[in-house]
Amino acid sequence: MTAVLVWILLTVGVLAALAGVVGVLVAGNVYDRLHFIGPAGIFGPVCLALAVVLDEGPFSQAGLKSILVALLLLALSPVLIHATARAAYVRERGGLELPREEPDE
Amino acid sequence: MTAYFAAATVLIAALAPLIVFSARAAAEDGLVALNLGGTIATLVFLVLAEATERQPFFDLAVVSAVLSFAGGLAYARFLERWL
Repeated sequence: MTAVLVWILLTVGVLAALAGVVGVLVAGNVYDRLHFIGPAGIFGPVCLALAVVLDEGPFSQAGLKSILVALLLLALSPVLIHATARAAYVRERGGLELPREEPDE
Repeated sequence: MTAYFAAATVLIAALAPLIVFSARAAAEDGLVALNLGGTIATLVFLVLAEATERQPFFDLAVVSAVLSFAGGLAYARFLERWL
C-alpha cells in the first residue's frame, strides 16, 4: 500500500514539474511564464517530500530534511516569482510607476 | 531501478530544455527558466538522496533550495537595476 502511494506521489510531483517546464517553454510572455512556476514549486516539493516521509517516517533524518526542503521551497518560491515579475516590469516600463491616465475633457 | 531513480531521471531530463531556453531567450525569460531549474535541481537532489539512501545528499537539497533562491534574487535585482 505504501509503495503504491509513493509511486502516485512521485508521479504527481514529477508531472507537476514537467507541466511547469512545458508551460515556461510555450507561454507567450514573461508574466505568463511566471504563472507556470507556481504549480511546479508547490506540488513538486510537497509530493516528493511526502513520498520520502512515507518511506522513512516523519521523524527520521531523511523525513525531517525533506519536510524542511518542501517548506523552504514553498516559502521562497513566491518571493522569487514576485522579484522576477518586478524586474521584468521595471525593464519594460523603466520604473514602478503605474501609467498615468489622461483626465477626460 | 527504483521509483526514485526513475523520478530523478525524468527530472534531470526536464532540466535540458530549460538550459537551452535560458541560453537563447531574452534575459527576463531566461531568469524565469532559471528559477524553475533551481526548483527542479533541488527536487533532483532530494529524490537522489532517497534513491541512494545517502544522508549527505539531503543536505545538498537543503543548501540548493536556499542558494537557488539567493541566486535568482541576485539575478532579478541585477536585471532590474543595471542590465
